[in-house]
Amino acid sequence: MSTENRASRRDFFSRMSDGLMGTALAGLFADDLLAKQAFHDLSPKKTHHAPRAKSVIQLFMNGGPSQVDLFDYKPALEKHAGQAPSRDLAAEVRAVRQTGGLMPSPYKFSKQGKSGLEVSEMLPHLGKVVDEICVVKSMFTTHLAHEAALFLMHGGRILPTRPSLGAWITYGLGSENRNLPAYVVLDDPKGLPVNLIQNWQAGWLPAVYQGTRVRSEGSPILNLHAKEEYPPGIVDMSRSLLHRMDAAHRDRHPGNVELEARIANYELAARMQMAATDALDVEKEPAATREAYGMNDERTASYAKRCLMARRLVERGVRLVQIYIESQIWDNHGKIRAGLEYACGKTDRPAAALVRDLKERGLLDSTLVIWGGEFGRLPIAQDPGPNAGRDHGPSGFSIWMAGGGVKPGISYGATDEIGYRAAEDRVSVHDFHATVLHQLGMDHRRLVFEREGRGERITDEFPCRVLQDILV
Amino acid sequence: MRVPGLLLLSIPLAAASDFEATIAPLLRAKCASCHSAKTRSGGLSVESRDDILRGGKSGPAIVPGRPVDSLVLTLAATGKMPMSGPKLAGAEIEAIRKWIEREDGRPPVAERDVHAVLAAKCWVCHGRTKKEAGLDLRTRESLLRGGKSGPAISAGDADGSLLVKRIAKQEMPPPKLQEQFSVRGLTDDELAKVRRWISDGAAAGVEQAVEVDPRNDPAVRAKDREFWAFQTPRAAAGGIDAIAKEKAPIAPEAAPLALLRRAAFDLTGLPPSPEEVAAFERDRDPRRFEKLIGRLLESPHYGERQAQHWLDAVGYADSEGGNNSDALRPQAWRYRDSAIRAFQRNMPFDKFLIEQIAGDETFDFRAAKHLTPEHMDTLAATGFWRMAPDGTNSTEQNFIPERMDVIAGQLEVFGSAVMGLSIGCARCHDHKYDPIPTRDYYGLVSILTPSFDPYAWLPGTFPCGGVGADCDENNTRFLIAKASPEFAAAKAHNEPVEARIRELNAQIEERAKPYRERYAREKKVEKAKAAALAAEYETFKKEKADLDEQIRKEREKKKPVPLVRALFELGPEPPPTRILLRGDAASPGALVSPGVPSAAAASIAPFRVEPLAHSSGRRLALARWLTQPDHPLTARVMVNRIWQQHFGTGIVATSGNFGRMGSQPANQKLLDWLAVEFVRSGWDVKHMHRLIMASAVYRQRAGDGGFPLRRIDAESMRDAILKIAGRLDGKQFGEPAAVKVMPDGEVIAPSLRRSIYVTQRRTQPVSFLDTFDKPFLNPNCVRRNESVVSSQALHLMNSSLARENSRYMAGRVIDEAGEDAGAQVDRAYLLALGRRATEAERGAGREAVERMAPEWEKKLKDERPAEPVKPRARWLALAALCHTLMNTAEFQYVD
Repeated sequence: MSTENRASRRDFFSRMSDGLMGTALAGLFADDLLAKQAFHDLSPKKTHHAPRAKSVIQLFMNGGPSQVDLFDYKPALEKHAGQAPSRDLAAEVRAVRQTGGLMPSPYKFSKQGKSGLEVSEMLPHLGKVVDEICVVKSMFTTHLAHEAALFLMHGGRILPTRPSLGAWITYGLGSENRNLPAYVVLDDPKGLPVNLIQNWQAGWLPAVYQGTRVRSEGSPILNLHAKEEYPPGIVDMSRSLLHRMDAAHRDRHPGNVELEARIANYELAARMQMAATDALDVEKEPAATREAYGMNDERTASYAKRCLMARRLVERGVRLVQIYIESQIWDNHGKIRAGLEYACGKTDRPAAALVRDLKERGLLDSTLVIWGGEFGRLPIAQDPGPNAGRDHGPSGFSIWMAGGGVKPGISYGATDEIGYRAAEDRVSVHDFHATVLHQLGMDHRRLVFEREGRGERITDEFPCRVLQDILV
Repeated sequence: MRVPGLLLLSIPLAAASDFEATIAPLLRAKCASCHSAKTRSGGLSVESRDDILRGGKSGPAIVPGRPVDSLVLTLAATGKMPMSGPKLAGAEIEAIRKWIEREDGRPPVAERDVHAVLAAKCWVCHGRTKKEAGLDLRTRESLLRGGKSGPAISAGDADGSLLVKRIAKQEMPPPKLQEQFSVRGLTDDELAKVRRWISDGAAAGVEQAVEVDPRNDPAVRAKDREFWAFQTPRAAAGGIDAIAKEKAPIAPEAAPLALLRRAAFDLTGLPPSPEEVAAFERDRDPRRFEKLIGRLLESPHYGERQAQHWLDAVGYADSEGGNNSDALRPQAWRYRDSAIRAFQRNMPFDKFLIEQIAGDETFDFRAAKHLTPEHMDTLAATGFWRMAPDGTNSTEQNFIPERMDVIAGQLEVFGSAVMGLSIGCARCHDHKYDPIPTRDYYGLVSILTPSFDPYAWLPGTFPCGGVGADCDENNTRFLIAKASPEFAAAKAHNEPVEARIRELNAQIEERAKPYRERYAREKKVEKAKAAALAAEYETFKKEKADLDEQIRKEREKKKPVPLVRALFELGPEPPPTRILLRGDAASPGALVSPGVPSAAAASIAPFRVEPLAHSSGRRLALARWLTQPDHPLTARVMVNRIWQQHFGTGIVATSGNFGRMGSQPANQKLLDWLAVEFVRSGWDVKHMHRLIMASAVYRQRAGDGGFPLRRIDAESMRDAILKIAGRLDGKQFGEPAAVKVMPDGEVIAPSLRRSIYVTQRRTQPVSFLDTFDKPFLNPNCVRRNESVVSSQALHLMNSSLARENSRYMAGRVIDEAGEDAGAQVDRAYLLALGRRATEAERGAGREAVERMAPEWEKKLKDERPAEPVKPRARWLALAALCHTLMNTAEFQYVD
């Protein structure tokens, strides 16, 4: 870090200590990504290019939603129903002993909106906002197990050896609002996804960049409040005593930025208690908004609450909110009709309401919404018969994105005729990562973390591209 | 309409090219004097099929499938070629015509491509460890020989080959077994490869692994070999201070108590006790600091501290990671304990490293009649190779690429922790910056394959139900230490328990018998009888449940038999190792033999494998090669990390990478002096601590270019809190203390033991430690990050760990200092900060307690307790002061 930068950084912390906060400071730390700094914090960083999106809300549909039943209509499946799969497809089945023939979708698809995008009848609410979304139908991944595919989707490798995309984003951008975590994970009170907390870990990036799990019920952030509160007088007196002791200590070590940052953090922690409570209080929303998200319907209430929280968080400058879904509701190995009814019933309305709400508030432009899982499902039946489901399908699946500079109302790429393998404009997980970073103003080739002399990147050496075709 | 991916592709018969058999000898005899690979007259070589297809200046020599348009044939048939020497005979021309007709121009399939397919899909049952139906599919010869059903292949006749028939019908690999063994059927492309190779004549690969001479290695430029880190270090004259002074001035010495606190945290990870402070202050000997270092090095906490650094470097964890089960690794702690003991006893580092890398090869453990505790430690040390995240206990994550990933993880650990090189880059491509070709990466892989065989893989630990559960036989990665006293003791303990379990099982059986018999007899009874039977059966079920519960309780009494998570060889005939192009297991390249990074090997005795009676000797050769006294890296890497332990940053800042992309040493002379001294002292780690800490460089006062102010690490923070609260449990070794996940998701360690003894589960990192930068070991960490984030403040302000222990600390302070408020403040400062309070601080502290006590009184009175309120309020007020001390920078930093 240059001397000038060190000075400005110190200035940043002392101004924070005085309570002067804000995004105006974002430009001060242009060199931080390149500088070999002694410690890591969330001070704002300069982007590589003008960002198209300021925030991301990722509606992570862990489990693997079935593309051929939701987004990717394949009439050929009807024509060839029951036919045995090809050798290539058979070599990719997870549950080999339950392999069945091709299975058409039981759902009707129809063209929606002005764009005429096709979605299935299982997503009626999304159908009403299709003109805002871009469906990518040619995603593919390289592993058939949840764990490995989740690691790949979040960290770029099939083993948990890498930082998550969210950690990279936080490392690259810092925070706009230091009263709140920069990277928030809203997990489902009904259960964590596969791989648990590893989905949002920082890997070998410093711990400061990992996702902060925020609970939608009970105390939202770990130790935000003590289990047993001190009398208010004690809190104040301790705080002022601490401030004096730390100031004296800092004065014995003049010019130590880390000590400044540490002192500032105590003030921030205190402010976070207020800010987080406020940001997460969805009861402050008008009744009509809560109704629109589905807060009043038992099926959708829990997911709606988290979608609404996500909007309130990005409004306040949180960079990335990931919403996970209870364990494995998209993992429809059997009884796929019942399974999809539950999963769509829980998420369709809140997700669509979120897109519309962001649009109406003028936030959609600066917020990239991403909907998708770690893979899709195979077009053949698993355990054919009345309880048939579909097994994991890594070779081709669909996700959608909205806002944040992504072209609205389009569909990109295609799978083969039966919806098994991405065939046209194939999109790798690395392409996806590069594109998300690009929209946030970062070049995946230049977002580098120096680790033991190795310039590490989320896309590593993998060949990949930014999906320019889907960008405004 | 052709639906891609839907119908079984009709596979085109591979053109039966008998090029190698008939055409090549012919062309070589008649044309090669001008058109050899060397002479290339007209740019054309006829030495290989590829060369001919590529052609020369006049274009391709043949047009596949079209003899008339093929230059070779036209020129030969018209007699224009060969220009000199005998022309081709009519039969020869006819042979060439036939070959061109059948030639399809597609690249040939080499034996190794077929082996890559068979290795991944078949070797698990027809390979090194199993030969189902007498069939071994590992070599061309064994394919031709076949098994009980006859030869597997018939050269030249793909469709007549049993191998192809069974695969084509999708009978092999058997669909029933595919999931269990983590294999899948062949894809169209793979089957086509097998067919083509057979129909092309099943030609044998003729290559041999190239022996590398590091002094004359064409893959490494001479200039690269001259890089400083590949040269044997030479000691300069002088000592640490003299050499350090050449680069930077040395600041004046720190205050004695600051030095004491610094030394205590450095060597034990704990603050000095008030008694230690007093003893140090009393000592008037000018060498009192050296004496202190000696005392600290003999403290049992030194071994724990030094081991913690090593555990970071190797990526120690108590769980497998890699998948959702994150299975606990039973008795992984033996590795942790062996490291603590080794450092405590100051085992010479060269011996230590040999045991880490090849402890299992240092003696014939299978034949050992009596396994001593030292033997057990030696075996446990090889757990070094069993640290990386490993999801292969899931059949969905146990395919070849994942196995190669586990090996890659281990090599990353080895590279960064032992050699100071980022070897992993060379897995997919020649290293971009360092002279490490892919050949050298796979040379290291080859050293590991006798144990880490990707085609005869021992999967990771299965989740296993509790102590005493019978799951040893599933967990094949363990050595059951039957010849150890521990085993005998467990057996003696377990025998009566097992007898009781057998008896209880017999009781269940006895009670079940009448029902079973009656059920068999009365299978076709009328409804009423069936109901009566069901009612009686309910009674039985209750009885059985009761007996089952008794069995469960008995099982809990069982002592686990000693298991050692070691690396050991699976037997003879390790698979051949090939370079994998782009790191892809399906793209085999050249054969390699066991080897080490050539660039680092040029100036020292060569790496040489000497097979032993009980093992291949490969890892032992690696260990011996690394621990040569003049090895350019081993000693440097270790002394650099010891330096880093004391100063926060190594002399080479990138302590895991001494290569071109790593940092240059800030003072190479100093690094080399230390490395040479390390080896000279007999690789004596404690000696290095003594030397470094006695230096004026270490004793500088903090700040302003002197000693760097450092935050204590996560474990030290937790351990220090427990220690100053008077609660630290000094119990060493054994089963790790459990962690607990609270309803709000916080992971806590309720135990009072040191953090090194807390379960390190990858999916359940202790929240407090995690927040203070205890690394996720993915796979390892040679230098910790340091972050400053507000959640750290939240944890120290609000966590139960801080709050509860500040109350214990206050209680202790009152007991030890008496009622005098000033003495209490003094004592609290002494405990937390290793010094007495200044006059001003004493005043401020006393005032704070006095002002806080009434606040507590008010609150306590509302609760209307039975006991007197005032002393309690004072205690809580003092606790708030102690809590504040825990939150200060001075407590969290060492200066």
